[in-house]
Amino acid sequence: MMRAPDAEAMKAIDSRLFEFADYDASAGERAGYSNYSYWRSTLGMFLAKRSSRLFLWMLGILLLFTFVQPFLPGQRDPTTIFNDPATGMQYRNVPPGGQFWLGTNSIGQDLWARIWSGTRTSLLIGLSVGLAEMLIGIAFGALWGYVRRLDRVMTEIYNVLDNIPTTVLLMLLAYIMKPSFQTMVIAMCSVGWLGLARFVRNQIVIIRDREYNLASRCLGTPTRRIIAKNLLPYLVSVIMLQTALSIPGTIGWEVFLTYIGLGLPVSIPSLGNLVNEGRMIMMSEELRYQLIFPTVLLSIITISFYVLGNAFSDASDPRNHT
Amino acid sequence: MNSTTVLEVRDLVVKFRLRGRVLTAIRGASLELYEGEALAIVGESGSGKSVFTKTFIGMLDQNGWVDSGSIDFEGRDLTRQRTEGEWMGLRGRKIAMVFQDPMTSLNPLVPVGRQIGEVLTLHKGMTKDQARSAVVELLDRVGIPEPASRSRQLPHEYSGGMRQRAVIAMAIAAGPRILICDEPTTALDVTIQAQILKLVKALQKDFGFTTIYITHDLGVVANVADRVAVMYAGKIVETGTAEEIFYDARHPYTWALLSSLPQLGVKGQNLYSIAGTPPNLFNEIKGDAFAPRNPRAQKIDFEYEPPMFEVSPTHHAATWLLDPRSPKVDPPPAIQAMRARYQGRAS
Amino acid sequence: MLRYAFKRLSQSLVTLFIVVSFVFLLMRLLPIEGYFGDRFQKMSKEAIQAGLQKMGLLDPWYQQLGHFYSDLLRGDLGVSNIYRRDVPITKILAPRIPYSVGFGLVAVVVAMSVGLTMGVSMAKHKDRIQDRLGTFYIVFAHAVPLAVYLLFVQLYGTSLFKLPLLFDKYQPLSWILPGISMSLNGIAFYAMWMRRYMVDELSKDYVKLARAKGLSSGAIMVRHVMRNAYVPMAQYLPAAILTTIGGSIYIESLYSIPGMGGLLVDVIQRQDNTMVQALVLIFSSIGILGLFLGDLLMAFFDPRIRLVKGEGSR
Repeated sequence: MMRAPDAEAMKAIDSRLFEFADYDASAGERAGYSNYSYWRSTLGMFLAKRSSRLFLWMLGILLLFTFVQPFLPGQRDPTTIFNDPATGMQYRNVPPGGQFWLGTNSIGQDLWARIWSGTRTSLLIGLSVGLAEMLIGIAFGALWGYVRRLDRVMTEIYNVLDNIPTTVLLMLLAYIMKPSFQTMVIAMCSVGWLGLARFVRNQIVIIRDREYNLASRCLGTPTRRIIAKNLLPYLVSVIMLQTALSIPGTIGWEVFLTYIGLGLPVSIPSLGNLVNEGRMIMMSEELRYQLIFPTVLLSIITISFYVLGNAFSDASDPRNHT
Repeated sequence: MNSTTVLEVRDLVVKFRLRGRVLTAIRGASLELYEGEALAIVGESGSGKSVFTKTFIGMLDQNGWVDSGSIDFEGRDLTRQRTEGEWMGLRGRKIAMVFQDPMTSLNPLVPVGRQIGEVLTLHKGMTKDQARSAVVELLDRVGIPEPASRSRQLPHEYSGGMRQRAVIAMAIAAGPRILICDEPTTALDVTIQAQILKLVKALQKDFGFTTIYITHDLGVVANVADRVAVMYAGKIVETGTAEEIFYDARHPYTWALLSSLPQLGVKGQNLYSIAGTPPNLFNEIKGDAFAPRNPRAQKIDFEYEPPMFEVSPTHHAATWLLDPRSPKVDPPPAIQAMRARYQGRAS
Repeated sequence: MLRYAFKRLSQSLVTLFIVVSFVFLLMRLLPIEGYFGDRFQKMSKEAIQAGLQKMGLLDPWYQQLGHFYSDLLRGDLGVSNIYRRDVPITKILAPRIPYSVGFGLVAVVVAMSVGLTMGVSMAKHKDRIQDRLGTFYIVFAHAVPLAVYLLFVQLYGTSLFKLPLLFDKYQPLSWILPGISMSLNGIAFYAMWMRRYMVDELSKDYVKLARAKGLSSGAIMVRHVMRNAYVPMAQYLPAAILTTIGGSIYIESLYSIPGMGGLLVDVIQRQDNTMVQALVLIFSSIGILGLFLGDLLMAFFDPRIRLVKGEGSR
């Protein structure tokens, strides 16, 4: 049965304690759970992971270096062909070390300079594509979700584009236009915006129809606030994810398009061109460095963006917050 | 009422690890369950009532554990059971559970009959064919029309009430000694609620099991319970027969809970609601957990934890108000009114 | 079921029609050199006009579309312009189909058996070593471009294991590297989704109830969770088979496999417009067929879909 109160211990209690205490109505609230801020929790969750912090630092340093590299002293031009002053011959396939840190390629260009220049080009493509996808995706998605009459047409357009395999559509677009930086960007963002558009559309439909938003609106919450509180957090996290993933994505597509001969002109150093140049000579062991150096850098960049994008997207999911 | 004890919980402490912090969900709860009774555990969301009963079948979430205390059932201490094998002889066979939402507690892709049959082949050693006909009988017993054809259907072809009936059939299939109903009717329509409660009552009579209802709905309690245990912030703060709790409650939290019943409200006045929120279980709780929300709290409530005082042999409450040294505190007017009505009826 | 299948089929046919027409019209923008090849440089303006006229390329677009469809219904995809001049495209494609289908099927079988097992084991041992290793692989396969890591498969497969560099149908060893290459991405794909669906299912209430009835975790896994997780996977299955067949464009070219994917690369490089058109249309149709079969398969396993997904989106 229930334990009887310990008589000795009970007597020992100061009887003055049996007076009423002052009642503080807010004390009851204070005992409850702490305030919740979406953005703080997201950032907290994101930075709490050791791998996120590691990749963030690595990527930060890498990006910084990529963009200041040409202004550092002692850097060579990525497209100049270097000749040996003694013989007047090109410095072909000079192995890494010494005069050329990462060696030269088959026509005597400096690999170190080319790798960083190529990274700049590829990142620029990635960022342009990411940005364009974002703009098109949001505009299209907003229209799709907001204007009910357009829903059917838009859904059909979406279905058509979504039904053509991405690889094929991309190849086709790149084939129709002439190989150039713009071609690359246009081709890639004409396939990439689909997902975002659908997401925005669904979110808008939810805002319109979900019960908690309906309830919130009945209580007089302005639409502005509903958008800011319910749509924006989701949207920002999805955009972050999309943009982060569009960089490894575009780099991959660029390598692929370059391989089939629809990439950037060979005169522009890019990761795609470098990998392709490296591929051609990869079977000879002493020249393999020309493939390995660019691919290592490429992999570090794509993995960092991929991991960070996913980590942020996980952290921004409110279901994962405490 | 029979007074053989089926299950006895002593000073149970359950903790959870959540993002590196430890939360104490059950803070030394004690309870006895008598053979053949219907006990209701009431409390607001987060009071720990679900977690409490989950320990009886070893189904705490992975990050939770029983820190101390004991649960005696059929001569063994359930808190000492570790392996899946030990629990499997118990779950569904001796202690069965019905969950809140019948819409999600059945596997949507497996025919209802087969899901019930699993219990029979598992615990009663029936062959698949034997189980099939037994399932039809069970479905018939819980009031499902055309049980033979219904047993082959998938859950989405059932209505909400029928699904809950099927879940109940599943729970009683192995003839358990204890049936735990975790908010069994919360997700259902009011009319269906009454039917389901009636069904469980009838089954309890026929099969002779003991029932534990977990609920925050005092209407359900009044309907079905012989005895009531009130839970607050991971502790049982008051136990007694249904009458004692409804008409002679002693704990301020029970008062507050009863006062928030709409039936007790006075026309034209705002419905009573308990101020504040339950305490943060991550923090150490000093004294009476309800004190910060209790307008009539005494200084001692903030210092020492009240022991269980005996009001009558069947009625206990953990509040310093029952200490002879405390000033006399009258229950809130709504409770007094209710008590008066009851006494008037009794005399 | 039949009604759903019929509805879904007519929906697919409409989509197919729109996609084919859309792609066909997009093709009208192709650079005109692709219709003449090397002769283009030496031809006079008049000769080019005459040539285009002869191929019907100066007709209004709706007439061209009409011609195209009437040819298509007779099984005529036109003739190659450059790749093998004036040979009917269907003749060029016929001997290549078995290679693409063969490799595609092998790759899907390997990818599914390895990927699904991996996904199941990752979900079972969530947050433990199996899960971590699996996640590491999935991240790698998704983050590093296919076009890059497959190069290394070829490079080290040939230099370390002495496997043949290029495909030769008479030499069984030469099937290994392209086969592996085609499965690698699929393995990551299946493992990731299977793990995700399993974890989703494991958190559902019916699993709680199944445990409460006394089922062992093994029985719950096999009889309830895996079964349910396979259903959404079924949706991807046909699409995966078909896109593996189609998506092998890069790998077929890398190993010189005489399939359709490698051919697409060839004809793009050689700017053979009619061939490009035919192949693009084939690959697009394969995509639509895959989605259709996937939905059908899923509806077969999960009857609820037939009720809910009556119309509209897929």
